[in-house]
This record gives sequence, C-alpha cells and structure tokens, in this order.
Amino acid sequence: MVSAPYTISSVGLGSCVAVALYDTQRRIGGLAHIMLPGSASLNGSQSSCRYADPAITALVKALCRRGGVRKDIVAKMVGGARMFPDYGNSNQGIGEQCIESIKGILKREHIPVIGQDTGGRHGRNVEFYLDTGRVVVSAIGKEDKEI
Amino acid sequence: MKVRETLSKEHLDFLREMMNIGAGNAATALGQMLRCEVNVAIPKVHLLSAVKLPPKTFGDPSLPVFCVRMAMIGDAFGHLFFIVPDAQKERLTHLVEQAAPGSTLIWNGDLQSAELDLSVLTEVGNILVGVYLTAIHDFCKLNIYHTAPTLAIDMIQSLLDESLATLSHKVQTAVLIENMIYVGAEGITTFLLMIPSVESVNTLADSIAQTRLAYSKE
Repeated sequence: MVSAPYTISSVGLGSCVAVALYDTQRRIGGLAHIMLPGSASLNGSQSSCRYADPAITALVKALCRRGGVRKDIVAKMVGGARMFPDYGNSNQGIGEQCIESIKGILKREHIPVIGQDTGGRHGRNVEFYLDTGRVVVSAIGKEDKEI
Repeated sequence: MKVRETLSKEHLDFLREMMNIGAGNAATALGQMLRCEVNVAIPKVHLLSAVKLPPKTFGDPSLPVFCVRMAMIGDAFGHLFFIVPDAQKERLTHLVEQAAPGSTLIWNGDLQSAELDLSVLTEVGNILVGVYLTAIHDFCKLNIYHTAPTLAIDMIQSLLDESLATLSHKVQTAVLIENMIYVGAEGITTFLLMIPSVESVNTLADSIAQTRLAYSKE
C-alpha cells in the first residue's frame, strides 16, 4: 500500500485477480493479489491473504490506518482468466469464482467497482498509478487498456 | 499422516535414473512421430519448492511460453506442464517446419491462428509426459495416468496461476525436468514441470524407497 506518486504493479495474472483500492481524495491506495475465493479454512492458513475476504478486509483496514476514508474508496479489478480450455468438471473456473466472491465482498463493504478487465483466456500485467488512480492492463498480443 | 515437504537426495537420484530411461524411450517415440532422427540428452532433474515457481530458468515471467497442461490421475494426483520458453522459439519454428513441411509457427500469443501448427508441439509434450510416467510405472509400480493435453501460449506466471492457487495449500515440491531434444544438430531445450499434491509426494517417496530396497536385495 502506497500513496502518490508511486506505481504498484503485478506481473502475470492468470486466474488470480488483482484488486486495486483507491481513496480518490487522499490519493492513497493498495493492490491485493487474490488467488482463491472466500475465506481461508478455520485451521488457520499462514497465507490467508491469498483468499478474497481476508485480503480485501486487510487492505481496507490498512488504507484507513493510513488516513483513508471508507466512503472515498473505490475499486478496480483485473484478472480472473481461464488460461486453459475445459479444465476440470466444474463449469465455473477458479478465476470466475474469485471474481464473483470479490464482487460480493466489495458490495458488503460498500466499495463501488468503477472499472474492471476480467475473464477471458489471456494473462495480464497490471500497473496501478497512485497519482490518478488509473489502472493500465497489458497483455501479450493486445493493446494496453486503461480502466 | 506425516507430510513430507520435499523428496530426499536419495529419492531425487532414483528419480533421475527413471527419467534417464524415459529420455531414451522419448527419443525413439519422437523420431517416429517427426520422421527424422531425434536424440534426447540425459535430462536434468531439479526439485523446487512451489513457492519458488515459476523458476528463473524460464526467463522474464512476462515473456510468452508455449505450454501444454495435463492433470495427473491414478496413484498420484497433480498437474503436469510441458513448457518451451520464449528463447527457444526460433528453434521451435524450425522443428515444426521440419516435422510438417510448409507450415509455419505463429508466435504472438494468438492461439486461434496458430492452432494447427501447434498440434505437433502438443504431441511432443504428450509423448514426453507419457514416457516419463511409464518409466515411473515400470520401476515404482505406480499407475499414474494423464488427462488429455490442453495448450496455451502466455506468460508463465499466468499459466501456473491456477495450479498454484488450487494445489499449494501447504508447502509443495515440484519436479522440474529439463530436456534437451536434438533434431539433427540443432538442440531445443524444453521443460516438464510436475506439481504433485502433498499426498502424492508421500506416495512417490514411499514407492521409491520400497523399490530401492527391493533392488538392493537382488
């Protein structure tokens, strides 16, 4: 988690989802790299922030500790692709499950999603510019996309 | 159940022996498929912790790799990846042209246009996985099968993402097999990455231990 003028980046997102939270007034924000939907199991995983719920909760708390105000926080999300076709028996891939879970959590936290580039079958790189809150998504063989 | 975090040096040595046998069979099978002389060098076998995936061997994680994924089923579970790094793309193109004259390999991440030519490469991955699993079966009496291969060209990190998310709840061991395949004088480096489930690492280690014991008594 940092403030302007820094940039946070994440390389090689596949089924994982990067959630950028940004306080539009104070220009501080953070990026959560989420691998799995929901919460960690009750037996206490050391890497619980790989799960959507603990990761977003921790990031919101960290933003507020740094002076962020909940009502000014907005979200953008990137990733959640299905990299290989027809994987497993489930109709919904892990990426799609992550996206659905994250949307539910953000709704519960009253954080609006103001931009997203999710799904599909390609990997993504993300750059999150803290000066303006813009998120630039790049992918192999595709034009850069700003959300 | 005691969970091993990794395989020991003895296990690794035995695994190397099995992979050497597999490489010999791979050369024969690839030669028949590509209709030319193929040699496979003795493979290098490395043990990796799942937290160190993808390994630096593949180069810049944002560069594209050609990747075929299969699931392991049977006596062991997990995922298998046949990977050709970006640095090998020119050699790969020659290989495809040699195996299927008149075809060209399009390497821009656009699978739609490259699908026909890439079927040759998918088959190479299929053969390599098949011979190595057969070698494990012949020595360790483990019946490990693989599902139908699916392919993608993209950043290595993004291709491993899903497997790492779903498999690596605990510390995991991954086995990386580096294969040098020679078609004529030209060599191409390919990788086979095996990410077994925690339970399957135990199964493999126990089978190797029993097999070594059996051989030592002979």
